[in-house]
Amino acid sequence: MVETAIHDIVIVGGGAAGLRAAIAATEIDPEASIALVSKVYPMRSHTVSAEGGAAAVAREDDSFEMHGYDTVKGSDFLGDQDAIRYFVEQAPRELTLLEHWGCPWSRNEDGTVATRAFGGMSTKRTWYAADKVGFHMLHALFQHSLRFENIARYDEHFATKLLVDDGTARGVAALDIRSGRVRVVLGRAVILATGGAGKIFPFTTNGNIKTGDGMALAYRAGVALKDMEFVQYHPTGLPGTGILITEATRGEGGHVINADGERFLATRDYGVGTKAELGPRDMISRAIIQEIEAGRGISGPYGEYVHLDLRHLGEAKIVARLPMVREIAKIYAGVDPVHEPIPIRPVVHYMMGGVDTDIGAATSLPGLYAAGEVAAVSINGSNRLGSNSLTECLVFGASAGHNALAFAKDSSAGSEDALRRQGEEEAARIEALRGKQTGGEKLSRIRADLHRAMESGCGVYRTGETMDATVRAVAELKERYADVALEDSSAVFNTELVAALEMGNMLDTAEAVAHSAASRNESRGAHTRRDAPSRDDQNFLYHTLCHFDPAGPRLSKADVTLGHWEPEERKY
Amino acid sequence: MGDDRRKKTFVISRFDPDRDDAPRAQSYEIAVEPDWKVLDALNYIKDEVDGTLSHRWSCRMAVCGSCGMMVDGEPRLTCKEAISDYGDTVEIAPLANFPIVRDLVIDSDGFMEKLKSVKPWIIRAKQLAAEEGPLRQSPAELEEFKQFSMCINCMLCYSACPVVANEPEFIGPAAIALGHRYSLDSRDEGAAERNEIFRGPGTVFSCSFANECSEVCPKHVDPAAAVNQAKLNAVVDWALRLILPRRGGE
Amino acid sequence: MARNAHPRAMAPAKPGSTRTAPPRLPDRFPLGGRYLAYTLFDWTGILYLLLGLLVLCAVWSLGSGESVWNALLERHRSAPYIGFHAIALVGVVFVGIRFFGFFPKAQPPRIGPLKPPPGPVILAALYALWIGVTVVLTIVLAGGARG
Repeated sequence: MVETAIHDIVIVGGGAAGLRAAIAATEIDPEASIALVSKVYPMRSHTVSAEGGAAAVAREDDSFEMHGYDTVKGSDFLGDQDAIRYFVEQAPRELTLLEHWGCPWSRNEDGTVATRAFGGMSTKRTWYAADKVGFHMLHALFQHSLRFENIARYDEHFATKLLVDDGTARGVAALDIRSGRVRVVLGRAVILATGGAGKIFPFTTNGNIKTGDGMALAYRAGVALKDMEFVQYHPTGLPGTGILITEATRGEGGHVINADGERFLATRDYGVGTKAELGPRDMISRAIIQEIEAGRGISGPYGEYVHLDLRHLGEAKIVARLPMVREIAKIYAGVDPVHEPIPIRPVVHYMMGGVDTDIGAATSLPGLYAAGEVAAVSINGSNRLGSNSLTECLVFGASAGHNALAFAKDSSAGSEDALRRQGEEEAARIEALRGKQTGGEKLSRIRADLHRAMESGCGVYRTGETMDATVRAVAELKERYADVALEDSSAVFNTELVAALEMGNMLDTAEAVAHSAASRNESRGAHTRRDAPSRDDQNFLYHTLCHFDPAGPRLSKADVTLGHWEPEERKY
Repeated sequence: MGDDRRKKTFVISRFDPDRDDAPRAQSYEIAVEPDWKVLDALNYIKDEVDGTLSHRWSCRMAVCGSCGMMVDGEPRLTCKEAISDYGDTVEIAPLANFPIVRDLVIDSDGFMEKLKSVKPWIIRAKQLAAEEGPLRQSPAELEEFKQFSMCINCMLCYSACPVVANEPEFIGPAAIALGHRYSLDSRDEGAAERNEIFRGPGTVFSCSFANECSEVCPKHVDPAAAVNQAKLNAVVDWALRLILPRRGGE
Repeated sequence: MARNAHPRAMAPAKPGSTRTAPPRLPDRFPLGGRYLAYTLFDWTGILYLLLGLLVLCAVWSLGSGESVWNALLERHRSAPYIGFHAIALVGVVFVGIRFFGFFPKAQPPRIGPLKPPPGPVILAALYALWIGVTVVLTIVLAGGARG
């Protein structure tokens, strides 16, 4: 018998989007019973590592039109323009609310919120909190959420299955990591806010927990994953560890230089024009890879890299605006950016793709909503501008919270018996996996091989051949995964079991990424093919949808909502 | 050969409540890369040597606060500690002063309760509407509390504090520092409420000046400063209430 | 391995879903590493207790007549008492230095509109006060002893 708990709505994921959704639902109804199910304590969510800032129109010389256009252009015209308009209009309100809730935004002398320049943004609209915006936003949201007794937290509960009754999402089955027992957490609507899946790649800014859990939950429940081929490589990550060095370093004036000390983004034609280091991420990542391939990179124990030079900013500015960058560089790269350049190379950072949602954060499955990096509305299209993502979590987290609660209030509960039985089946599946002795595969080997396959076929530069090979490799890995053997048969806090369950999610997500990538025969945004180097609006101006099917994923197309800004050549 | 890798022995505390009466030590000898952090060694042991080892970690860049453990008897963030700073044998144990759930994993729920007890949120008589726009706060006003807002909730300070070890009611350094952070925030109006909390048992006056919390804090929050400032504030607030009539709004 | 801390240290209000091992003290507590200074700092409380008793005796002696007072002063010139006073002096100076060391950072950033002076100024003022009071008291008591 699995323990069952009943709430009004169930939110999976306790980062910026999940917490914002919980607070939004509480705003509408302080008596609403809200479950917040997270596989880690909320302040450990990966929102915490975001550094640079969150974008919203703030200055007199800015407008929704400009922010919208920058975002559409940054998306290489694959972003849905109605969603983008909604997003930019809600953005200042959301960041203002964060300010009211205690977020320590950095300030101008006159006490107004300060803004900094960021990649692809035509003016300064990135609100920031030194260089720890994600940390400050997450802690402000979490601490604000502590005021509300109606938010019931299920900390260190790993949701492994979406429970669906009568065609409606009604809750999740979640492994209580501490006790090893499965709980059924029911609501009349479910919100996924579980973040992205950078851990399917070997070099990523992402933490251990970013394993595509929510994407896999939705995918296996029959909901499409949209635009999964678009994986953002952040240009400036540390070689080896992949730790993020924020775009704010470039926003504050940092230079990217090659082995000859040349500011190649300014001196050579990489499509970023006069913006140079402040160009969009996909272009800068490509530029760096090209410099390395041309032999102008620097060799190191973790491969080739280039330099990020902050020396000319001076110690005072670095200490005031980029203190965490300095600490990270010293601890993890062994350099003091005041005196030496930082080694950097593109690393996987963000998934533009995700669970297919509309402006109201609703998916095709009634009762199921998604917000934040796990979702693709899409406002980011084929490439996201830096500092749009944190704002996205807030705007669509709020949208999801409001709409999910409205749906729940208007909806009957599912059949508790039927849902509990699904939970019991899931519990049995997990029990069979725990300490599974039979099998010839090692989890760490499957992970290493997945990393190799994704790096090879879904890197910054792709070819039909490498992508097809990756598609086959992922299919093979899924078979090998069924044969995995585990060592830890304990019930209490079994992290090997959690890792094995995460691996299942990673493989499903990787399958969607690889298949979607192989099907797009053009280059757009972050998806760059050597064998199809131009953008082809005639044939490929659509969103890729990937549906789960045991015989192999089914791909289809969805229209991009245009209407306001006409697609044009993307030059800066 | 170019073999930069050295062998080190990790003596790790293990505990499975279903099998062990009490925690026991288990040794692992592995070859380590020169640029590893202690966390990298733990992950290697889990991935390649003993899949039954349980530990918490996530960001690996010293900002999520998950990976706090005792390394050679001192509370540390294992993702921040360079292996090269340690000798040939490294002892790793779960954080001191916490109940132990499994191996290197401790029970954090007591900490979560203590954190909440200081009302760590902006208290205002009248809630602001978004349309009113952001409040103004000068850079100087931000500096007043900024240091105390840097806490990543890693709980190393709780492991170091002798009062936490001996007085279960003590809410501890991070909780007090967080409450103090809000009281210092120019946008907050709840200092009086928190001063009252801080005159209660198990709060600031349980602190006996060990300063260990500030010694071990990886984010330079200096919780000892917060706790001792809070003592003075609590006393001054009490004295002023005796002399002056109660100010409106309470 | 380490010894146990208080059995309910950091325990949540309600017991968790699984059995836990009792919390352990940090290895070096109470006499290892930095804890030694802290433990000694705490133990000076015993010195204060004894000093307090001595002061009470002295006040009582003052009220009991000159011969009793002189007898007390004689006692305090003997070896054991001088030994105690030497230890107490070291203890009190140690406590003073450690305690004063906390003062600059224990100052609240503001009391109303007033900001406190910078750390070094506070420290200088504290030491000046301490030394000043010590000098004055020494003169007064030395005069009393002579007279």
